[in-house]
Parts: sequence; structure tokens; C-alpha cells
Amino acid sequence: MQGKHGFGGEYARLKKPPSFFNVIFNLMWLCYATMSFYHHTLKPILNRVGSMPVAILLLVLLAVASVIGTVLKQNQDQVDYLHQFGPTWYWTFRSLGLFDMYHTWWFMTILGLLMFSLAACLLRNTPRFLQEMKQRKGTMNENARKHIEHKFDLSFDDKEKAISSIKTSLPDWKWMETKVGNVLWLRGDKGRFHKWGYITVHTAMLVILIGGWLSVQFGFRGNMAVPEGGKESEISFLKGTSTDYLKMPFEVRCDDFEINFFSTGAPSEFRSTLTILEDGKEMMTSDIIVNEPLYYKGVRIYQASFGDGGSEITLKLHRLNKTGNVDVGHARIYTVFKDPYSDVTLELKDFRPYNIENMAAAGEPKDFKDMGPSVDFVIRGKGLKPVLVRSFMEPFIANDQNQGSYLMISKTGDARDFETFLLGLDFSEPKEWELFQAFIRKIPAKAAASQEEAQQANLNAFRAALDEVYPDGRPDDLPMLGNRIIQSLKVLPDMPWPFVPVLEDYDQTYYTGLQLAKDPGMDVVWIGSGLLVGGLCIMFYVAHRKVWVKVLEEENGQVTLEVTGISNRNPIAFEQEFDDLEKQIKTAYEQGVKV
Amino acid sequence: MTAITADKVSFTSSMYTGRIAHIRNWAYLGLLAGLAAMAMFAGDGYVEDNFVFQMFSLEGVKWMAGGTVVGMGYAFTTSASKFRAFRFSEILVPWFDGAVLMVALMGLYTLFEPSEAMITYEDQSNLFSGNVVMTMNVAMLFSALCYIAYLFAPDSFIGKLGTATAWIGVYAGGSALLLRWYESYLLMGGDIGHAPVSNLYEVFILLFCVICVIYLTLESRHNARGLGAFVMPIVAAGIFFAIWLESIGQSDIKPLVPALQSYWMKIHVPLNFVGYGSFAVACAAGMAWLFRNRLEESGSQSRLLAVFPSLKQLDNLAYKAVAIGFPAFTLATILGAAWAAEAWGGYWSWDPKETWALIVWLVYGAYLHARFSHGLQGKTLAWWAVLGFLVTIFCFVGVNMYLSGLHSYGQLT
Repeated sequence: MQGKHGFGGEYARLKKPPSFFNVIFNLMWLCYATMSFYHHTLKPILNRVGSMPVAILLLVLLAVASVIGTVLKQNQDQVDYLHQFGPTWYWTFRSLGLFDMYHTWWFMTILGLLMFSLAACLLRNTPRFLQEMKQRKGTMNENARKHIEHKFDLSFDDKEKAISSIKTSLPDWKWMETKVGNVLWLRGDKGRFHKWGYITVHTAMLVILIGGWLSVQFGFRGNMAVPEGGKESEISFLKGTSTDYLKMPFEVRCDDFEINFFSTGAPSEFRSTLTILEDGKEMMTSDIIVNEPLYYKGVRIYQASFGDGGSEITLKLHRLNKTGNVDVGHARIYTVFKDPYSDVTLELKDFRPYNIENMAAAGEPKDFKDMGPSVDFVIRGKGLKPVLVRSFMEPFIANDQNQGSYLMISKTGDARDFETFLLGLDFSEPKEWELFQAFIRKIPAKAAASQEEAQQANLNAFRAALDEVYPDGRPDDLPMLGNRIIQSLKVLPDMPWPFVPVLEDYDQTYYTGLQLAKDPGMDVVWIGSGLLVGGLCIMFYVAHRKVWVKVLEEENGQVTLEVTGISNRNPIAFEQEFDDLEKQIKTAYEQGVKV
Repeated sequence: MTAITADKVSFTSSMYTGRIAHIRNWAYLGLLAGLAAMAMFAGDGYVEDNFVFQMFSLEGVKWMAGGTVVGMGYAFTTSASKFRAFRFSEILVPWFDGAVLMVALMGLYTLFEPSEAMITYEDQSNLFSGNVVMTMNVAMLFSALCYIAYLFAPDSFIGKLGTATAWIGVYAGGSALLLRWYESYLLMGGDIGHAPVSNLYEVFILLFCVICVIYLTLESRHNARGLGAFVMPIVAAGIFFAIWLESIGQSDIKPLVPALQSYWMKIHVPLNFVGYGSFAVACAAGMAWLFRNRLEESGSQSRLLAVFPSLKQLDNLAYKAVAIGFPAFTLATILGAAWAAEAWGGYWSWDPKETWALIVWLVYGAYLHARFSHGLQGKTLAWWAVLGFLVTIFCFVGVNMYLSGLHSYGQLT
């Protein structure tokens, strides 16, 4: 029972200075506790974590998770995931972080545990390996020799010469001499350090993982889009399912962006000219292309993508009212163009200077054709269904015949749902609109008595319109022109918009998509990689070869060398080497005698 | 007379042994070092498309000759001691000679190239490399048949014929790739020229050659001709796939996308295929192990057991192949990371190809652990080698076909 007084007593005891014995006792207890903790808790844990089954379990987990991450596309649009999996699975996967799996806490935990496992494995095994490498038994017992494949005996007259000829035959070997009674033993080693291979490889992997951790912890990687002539200092990056921003200590200005093409039409190079600004001062200017990034104050700047940087667009608006006026509107991409004569607005989305499409029917060889420049916008207005529209500058030419201008319209707003609408008229030719207007004006307002009469009246009206618009003679492709006019008579009157918007002109600006990355762990990773490759080479290609020589002196002054060899790998090469050794020792001895 | 010189010495064997091999080897190495030095330090620096021309200019000859002289000088001084073994040189020299032969073959083929007016980008069917690739296909398919026949007629010359045709296939394939490299500069006025390791069709040819070379080397060192009946069918299956690729128009030389325009491509891709190729050989050794094991268990007295490598040998061969492939694959992945760091802004992006490379690496790393830490041998490891290669195939072809990512330029279009 702890009463009020007891509490006070406790307090009083704390105020009393602790005695000398108390301190000693406490320290001893602390030592004991630590050691006990180490022996009973930490060491078993280390042993367990560093054990092979745990390592294998972790590696299997890592492999399985990696497979999931590749099968399930990472970092896509959340809406796409929702469509693909439906709400139940979407939320299940999302809560597990599977859409950005490689950055989830549990994936990191696997990697972290793997690091612990590696470290524990190293701690446990390194001393043993070092010990084994140090131990060199100078002698070999007769029984063991019997079971060894590689051995021969050689007899010579001169002991010293015999010994030195062994050593010259194996020049780079490490030799050790042991005397047992009267018998001299030589032991030679080559590739004794091969166990460093294991140590190096496992250390290297630890170093690489540490490097990776440093990269994740202290580095960043994000994108910025800089329009030509513009500046930017903020990068954006994905964090889980949301986007985050980071301010750079400098600004990047894009002076120029250009795309070069192969003669096949495929892009050959994306090149940005960038200037780095600090407090408005120009620090450096450099060109970057895809494989050649820029390096500034620890940050690498890569050419990653490109897009429209707010091109200046000129649209011609052909009024679908009685006036038939043609207005010209100017706007930049990413702005909203407001029609001054109606409440209709165009939200300009994108501009492309070229549209390469496959014109061949399905199954036929591909036939690529440039459809020319286009602009994308969303058209909005009172009583109008907002749709995404792509308007082209050039008419649709199929089989060398002009089919007139066209729009691509997506009712869902998704570029994948574009449908083509032929407008009939070739709007790039202003006279055709004039002709159309003149024609409409000349069609008699009164309803004709019969079908034939109506046709005749229309034909007359068309002829009169032609005379008015083309006073110097009929245009060349008159039959097609007639077809186009007929098509537009079908289409244009039903259009819900007050005008037909057609791309007229453009002044293109690109933005360059840059990736900025700072990676303080990168050099650590390279060091680890170097160690890894070096360690693997030692592990696989360095054989530890040992040779024992028992020097037996006989009474007549002759010596017999009993040579025995072992290699821990590559027995076939060692057999060859060992056979050569016998010949080499003989040669060396003979030449030594001759001198 | 000493024991060494008492051996019979013919001209060819003297070229590949002892001091002469040593000097020749270092002459080659010196030449390569001279080229590398020219790429790094010569006047205008390394310009991708100019390098070949630079090589054959006076400047290039100077650099190469300088390197050769330095290499040979080193060889002379180090070969002063008669008791040295020249194993390193003796191993390397035949490879260099083979490479020279391949380049010479390529030079020969250029004489058969159609005139410039006949060569168009749109129709590449008249390029000569197509014929050489077809030669390779025929040689390798024939070799596969020979090796299988050898199992049933072990005494006849048919086994040797298999080895010979496999070598013919290797030289045809290697020189065909070099010729493609040359041809890529003939198209479109030379502005799309690039190393022939840029699409699935080209790397398949490379893979066949690598598999054959690794297998043939193991065959000659370990006297393991019976294994060919398992290696060459893998190659043959690949050849049918490559012929299909060609039939759907994947064999055309196309311009490189900007991401691939880097000298890294020439290092990263071939090295990766050394890895894939050796894993294929390991898989064949695993299959052969399982096959022989089945025969032995059923108490078969088949004659082919006598010529077929023993279970222990097959186990060892599979390990040998992994021992070649694993370090190469590791280095290739690391160099890929270095390239990624230069081109994509990060050395590791968990791109499907990277991730699958990691999985392959883990599979073979586990194979090695099972072998050394756990002393596993025999059946488990044989199955491991076979299944590991299936994972490798997915990494190599499957990822391109089924998963998209930063490596998608390897995709079928």
C-alpha cells in the first residue's frame, strides 16, 4: 500500500545523496543487465535474424513483393485503378499501399530486416573466416595424404637446391616452413584470401542497402516543367497517392527546347538549353539531352519529357448565324478563350505541331501520315454538353481527295474516345465558307412544289453562288467541292455551337520536362557495387591452392620431396597445374645445377 | 633437354601456349587499351559515329600501335622467368583470335553487299546480313540434330560434326551482327547507325552465340559432349522464335530512341546476355542431370550412359555455368544501374525489368547458397537450374511482352 506518507518518504529518499556502494552496486547491476540482455535476448535474436532460414524467408518475401509490384502497374492514376479493380479491391489494395508498393512501410521493413540479417550474418561468420584464413597447418599426416589425389615424389641430390627450385617453380606463392623432429615441412599457399570473397560480397550488399537507404532518406527526386523562356524552382513528386512539392535552392530557366528528327520522322534528340539562376544571377548555362544530364550543387537535372508550354493559338470562328462572319480569336494553351459574342468558352488544353497516324486499315501494312497541327480544347456554354474537341489546321485528304476539314470530338472528355466528324467544307480555304454562305443565301426560302423543282432550284443557287465567289472561273476540284458542300449542308445546320472553331495559326512554345534528383547515397551504392563485383570474382575465380612438401633426408645425402596438393575449386585446372609443377621443379633443379 | 621443351610442338599449339601466347595476348590487350585511351584522351574526344573512322585514320593507327608495343613490352619483361605459367594468356588468346576472325569475316561479307542505290530503309530484305543469319540458323539447327543423334550413335563422327556446326553457327551469328552494325550505317545516309543490340531480334542472335560459346568452351574443357543434346535444342527453340520475329517484321534496322543513344548500351546489353546465356547452359545441365538420373533409376543399360557426362560432372557443369553467369549478370545489372543513374535520374526505379533482374539475381544467389552453405546437390539443384532459367526467360522476354516500363523499347510492336 502506497499512502500519502509513503510517497513523501520516497521523495525524501531521492533527495538524499546515494552512497558509494549504491553507485557501485547499480553500475554492476547495469553491467550484468546489459550482458544478460545481450546473451539472453540480443544474441539469440541476432543469431536468429542472421540465420539462413530467416534470410531465405526475407528474400522470398522480397521476391514475391517485387513480382506483385511489377504485375500491378505502380503509380498510375487512382481513377484508373478504381475502374480496373472496382471499389472493394481498390480500397483493399490501396490500404496495403500496393499502388506505390516500393515505398510502403512494410516493404521498407523487409529491406531493413534484410540489412539486419546481413549484418548479423557477417558478425557471426567473419571472425570464423578470418580465423580459418590465419590457421595454416604446416604438416600433413600420412593418412590424409593417402586420400588426396594430387601427389608425387621426387628425389634430388642437393637439399638446398631442391627447396629453392620448388619455390622458383611457384613464384607468387606464400611459403611457410615447419620443422618436426628432423623432418622439414614446406607449405605453400596461393589464393589464401579467397574467403575474403564471401566477406566482401556480403559487406557489399550491406553497403548497397545502406546507400539505398541514404538515397531514400536524404535525397529527393521530382519533376518540373519549364516553358521555353520561363523559370521554375519547385519540383513535384508522388508521395503515396498524393503529390508533394519541394522548393529548390535555385531556379531553372529554359532558354530553348528543340526536337530533332531522323529522316524516318522518329525523334532523334530532345535538347534543352538551361540556365541556372541563383537570386536572379545567372550561374551557368548548359544543354542537356536524354543521356547527358546537368550537374549543379549536388543536384542532377535530367531531360525527362516535353510538352506544350503555352503556345499562342489563332482560331477562326465561323459563325453559324445569318451573318456568317468569321472572327479571329487568339489565346494561349492552358488559358480559357471567351467568345465575345456568346457565352461559349473554349478551355485550351494542348497543341501538337504534328499528328502522326496510321492510315492503313487493320491488318494491312502500316502507313504513317502526318495529319498536321492540331489544338485540343473543351467547349462549354449554356445548354451545351461540354466535350473535348481536337481541331486540325489541314483538311482530311484520303486517296488524294480532299474530304474537307474535320473535328475530333470526345463526348467523355477522354482522348481515347475521340470520334471523327467530317465538316464537309475545307475551312483552310476561306472561299469555301464564302461559297457556302452565298449558297445558303441563294436557296429560295419558299418551299418548292416538287422534289425535282427543289433540286433544280438548289442547283441554280449553287451555280449562282459559284459565279459570285469564283468570278474568274470554276475551281479545279469542282465535283469534290460539290460533295463537300452537300456534306456541310447535312452537318453544319445541326451543330449545337454558335460557331465552327478551326485552327488557323500558331506560335509554338514547348515546355521541357525535367527530372531533378539529389542522391547522396549514390556514391555509397557505387562503392558497394564495386565491392560486390570484386568479391564475386574472388569467390568464383580464386581457388585456394595448397601444397605441402615433406623434405625427407636419406642417409646417402639424397633428399626425397613428397609433394601433395589440394585446391578448393576448379579441380581440372589444378590437375593440369599440378602435373606441370612436377616438370617445372625438375627443370628448375637441372638448370640450377648447370649454373 | 628439359621436360617442357621435350613435348611435341606444332605450329598451332606453339601459338597458343607459353611465351608466344603470352606476348600475343598482351599485344591484343595493349591494342584494346590503346583504343580505350584514344576514346578517352584523343583530340576531339569520343564521338559515337566517328569512332570507327577515327580507328582507321593515322591517329587511330598510332594509338593502337602504341598500345600494342606497350603490351608486348610488358609481355617480354614478364616472360623473362621461364618457370612462369602463362595460363591467363593461354586462356585469353584464342578468344581474341576468334574475334579477329569474326571481324575478318564481316569485312569479307561487305563485298557482297548490294550497291548503295539498291539499299533502302523501307525494304531491307536485300541486305547481306539476312543470308548470314540464315546460315547461322541452319548451322545451329543442324548442330542440334547432330548432338541428339550423337546420343544414339556415340561412336560415330556425328558428335564432332555437331561441335563443328555449332562453331560455324557462332561465327556466322557473330559476324552477322557485326555486319548489321555496318549495314545500319548504310541506311538513311548513316544517321541511324548503331550497335546491333537494340531490339529483340538482334539480342536473340547474340544470345544464341553466347549460349553456344559458353557451352562449347565447357564441352572442350570437360569433355562433356553429351550435354549438347540439351543445350542446342534450347538454341533451336530460340531460333524458331527469332524466325517468327523476322516474319512479323521485327528484324528491320530502326533508328534508336533517344534513351538508347548511349555507349552504355554496348556494354550493358551484351554483358546481360553473357548472364542469360550461361543460365541457359546451366538449365541444360540441370535437364541433362534429371534425364540421366531418370535413366539410372530405371536401371537402363543404354549405351548413351557411357558417353553422357556423369551426374557429378553435370552437377559441376551447371555450377560452372552459373559461376560464369552470376558475376556477369551482377556486373551487367550494376552497369545498368549506372546507365539509369545517367539517363533516368536514379540508379534504381523498381522498373519491371529491374525488378525481375533482381528476382533472377536472388534465384541464382539462392542457388549458390543452397550449394555452398547447405551443401545441397543433385536433384534439387538440377530443378533449381531449370526453374531458374524459366524465371530468366520471363525477365528477358516476358517482361517486354507482358509488362510495360522504362525498358519498353524492347517491346514487340
